[in-house]
Amino acid sequence: MSRFGFWTIVLILTWLLLAVLLFVPVGSVLVSSLYDNAGNFTLGNYLKAIGDERIQRAFVNTLLVGFGGLAGALILGSIMAFCVSRFEIMGGRFVSLLAIMALVSPPFIGAYSWIVLFGSAGVVRQWFKAVGINVPTIYGLSGILIVFSLKFYPYVYLMVSGALSNVNRSLEEAAEGLGLTPFQRAMKISFPLVFPALSAGGLLALIHSIADFGTPRLLGRGFNVLATEAFTLYSAEIGSNMSMATTISVILVVMSMVFVLLQRYMSRRNVYHGNMINKPHKIRLKGWKNVLAHFAVYAIGLAGAIPVIIAVIYSFRKTSGPVFQTGFALQSYERIVFGLGDVVTNSLTFSIAAVVLIVVVGTLIGCLVARKTTFATSLLDGALMVPYVMPGIVIGIAFIAAFNTGPIVLTGTAAIIILSIFIRRLPYTVRTTSSALRQIGPNMEEAAISLGYSPFRAFTKVTVPLIIPGIIAGGMLSFVTAINELSSSLVLYVGRTMTMPVRIYLLILDGDFGTAAALSTILLLLSGTAVYIAFRFLGRNEQALL
Amino acid sequence: MAYLTVANATKRFGDTFTALKDVSIAVERGEFFTLLGPSGCGKTTLLRSIAGFNQLTSGSILIEGRDLGSVPPHKRDIGMVFQDYAVFPHLTVFENVAFGLKPRKVARDEIARRVPEALEAVRLGALADRLPAAMSGGQQQRIGLARAMVINPQLLLMDEPLSNLDAKLRVELREEIRDIQKQIGIAAIYVTHDQEEALAISDRICVMSNGHIEQVGTPQEIYGNPQTLFVASFVGTINKLKPGAALDSLLGELGLADIAQANPNATWVVRPENLLLEGEGGVGGQPVATVTGTVSKYTYLGREAHLQISTDLGDLVVHVANPDRNGVQAEGQVKVLVAKDAVLGFDADGKRIGG
Repeated sequence: MSRFGFWTIVLILTWLLLAVLLFVPVGSVLVSSLYDNAGNFTLGNYLKAIGDERIQRAFVNTLLVGFGGLAGALILGSIMAFCVSRFEIMGGRFVSLLAIMALVSPPFIGAYSWIVLFGSAGVVRQWFKAVGINVPTIYGLSGILIVFSLKFYPYVYLMVSGALSNVNRSLEEAAEGLGLTPFQRAMKISFPLVFPALSAGGLLALIHSIADFGTPRLLGRGFNVLATEAFTLYSAEIGSNMSMATTISVILVVMSMVFVLLQRYMSRRNVYHGNMINKPHKIRLKGWKNVLAHFAVYAIGLAGAIPVIIAVIYSFRKTSGPVFQTGFALQSYERIVFGLGDVVTNSLTFSIAAVVLIVVVGTLIGCLVARKTTFATSLLDGALMVPYVMPGIVIGIAFIAAFNTGPIVLTGTAAIIILSIFIRRLPYTVRTTSSALRQIGPNMEEAAISLGYSPFRAFTKVTVPLIIPGIIAGGMLSFVTAINELSSSLVLYVGRTMTMPVRIYLLILDGDFGTAAALSTILLLLSGTAVYIAFRFLGRNEQALL
Repeated sequence: MAYLTVANATKRFGDTFTALKDVSIAVERGEFFTLLGPSGCGKTTLLRSIAGFNQLTSGSILIEGRDLGSVPPHKRDIGMVFQDYAVFPHLTVFENVAFGLKPRKVARDEIARRVPEALEAVRLGALADRLPAAMSGGQQQRIGLARAMVINPQLLLMDEPLSNLDAKLRVELREEIRDIQKQIGIAAIYVTHDQEEALAISDRICVMSNGHIEQVGTPQEIYGNPQTLFVASFVGTINKLKPGAALDSLLGELGLADIAQANPNATWVVRPENLLLEGEGGVGGQPVATVTGTVSKYTYLGREAHLQISTDLGDLVVHVANPDRNGVQAEGQVKVLVAKDAVLGFDADGKRIGG
């Protein structure tokens, strides 16, 4: 009876938590978009948004970058996944490492690195100019799409390579035996089999492309998307237009949700279980085909990792003020040590606090969802999908709207940043914990019970030790997202609570790329360490990064 | 009074599904008792109720007269072996086996003595310090067995422990389980859907279907003297004889006409190995009828041969032992000998007629 009571309390507290941190803030965004400044109910904001040419353009642009990013990520990701899982590629693990680097690299540092190379005064452009070739600049839509493709292809790559290496070889051999050409075989057998993975990876790329704020902000040069418009409207010093910003946020959320539902609908029939026995062979290619495959894989991998490489190199360059000089020095790091220590401390404390919360609360909820399957817990599982589709900028604006006045005032505190990270990342931990628990199954605990352990002791003695590695790994991966979080923090920060990504963003706007690069390098080092620890606990499981 | 008594056990899941209907069994001390039946027959539900993982809707479970109804599963002192082994992957083989001794407050030096003993018994003595993850299914189940027995439980429950193993290992391990159980003289309840396994391992078998008991008896009784049509067809194979004039005259020749007339809707069956081909040997001093037919299929299996023969009684399968030595005819016309005690009759409810 006491056990039942405990889980009921957890269930109630979870709903309370979701209500306070999610439904009320996001609900108030929805509601405030339905009222004018005088407090009267109106659909005027939506009508105005629909009528506003700027917002129309931003809407179309968002779709453009979304589907452009999706297409780019799908092409690059599938090529790489196909080559790595079907052909023998030298240094395959190194290629995976490059993809992971692209995935965990600080946001929009990519955008800036591309500006360094291909901007108006970009290094590569200068080289080409010297030999008389005029390379177009990276600004505008094409630049954003290149950056998105290279930043988000790892989602597709990691998903699809996993699926491809689990396709039963006999299926393809059977098709071959039935007289299908290699091309028909790929289209009729392999493609449908990896479609769920392909669409899931594509969805991640699409949602991140729609929600991304930093890249269009830096590369857009007048090319605005909904995320940047929302931020502009929110942060305008004079005449900040909160209700319009919230209106755009709602449009953004609805858009993400539509795509999530669409993906689920499209892959609803396609649940294939991988097989462990008849795995596909890797073919050793010969001659020009081999060269081509290696070239494709390494070109994609290196291009995706270029921003990181550039940032690391530039962090060690000698500077005079914001201007780079020839030669190398540690000036940029000195500036961080003497001037920006608190930013690093902030980032670390916020992330660690958020991760601790996420792990404790997420594990409890995960146990609840996995072990006490009732209508109430299934509903909870569904509700936890909401933060998943919520662009960071929307959570930020929602938190400001909800916690600026009223019973809980949190604006300007560290708590509001920690909580925003917490609620966004919580669903992932709930998922990992509940799926880990479902894999263990109740037999293990029953064995302990039949040996004389009470149910509670059986849980702590058997189940907890078994899921702990997964929980630690999940916590580490949450740490990576937490410490790289920009878009919600950018809305929520005040001077005292500035984090590293926010500072990097501001430094880039100020043109101080040396310090930005050094901060990014530190950020990358922290993320890399966390990924390394996670892999130590999980085994090398790249898909856990998604 | 039996050692373990289950009386009038009924278990309902929700309002609609009844997994156990008024089941009563009695198991003696040191007995190897098997619950046999197809999936969904309630055998696992009964086992889990004895372990305490299911609460009976009504009925009682007693060990040596003590009612277990209010005893929580961890205080029942019942060892359990699981189908998927349920070996703790984070503990070594030794720690797995010692796991159940800790809550019993067994002294350290006694643990150091009893665990290796148990591991020797299942032939895992050399692997005590290994982690079970990389071990084969057979080895993992041996750990499960040692772990359940080292606590000297009042009762050992086994839930299809061999069904995830390959055929050869299954035979090997079931012999070991049987030997160990007899050695320590513990009462064991074993759940399986494999009739051959049940026959090989059990002192008594309880055949279940649809939540009720069909028959309880020794392996010989279950196989040789099935009391219901379900038992006859689930344990071993049968030929159903086609109703009609040919069947009536066969029953007449065997002196069964009166019984047949009293049960007009009866099903008459005969086991393939109880049919003889003419010239194959004697049947003893009892009425024998001869049926003529044509061989329509011949399957050679080395140790025996299976013949399918088209007759007026329908297609009859006949098993012939040692076909090479007995010179079996693989085609053409043959004569099948049907002895009186080979024919089993069941009434419309599937109950045995006569005996």
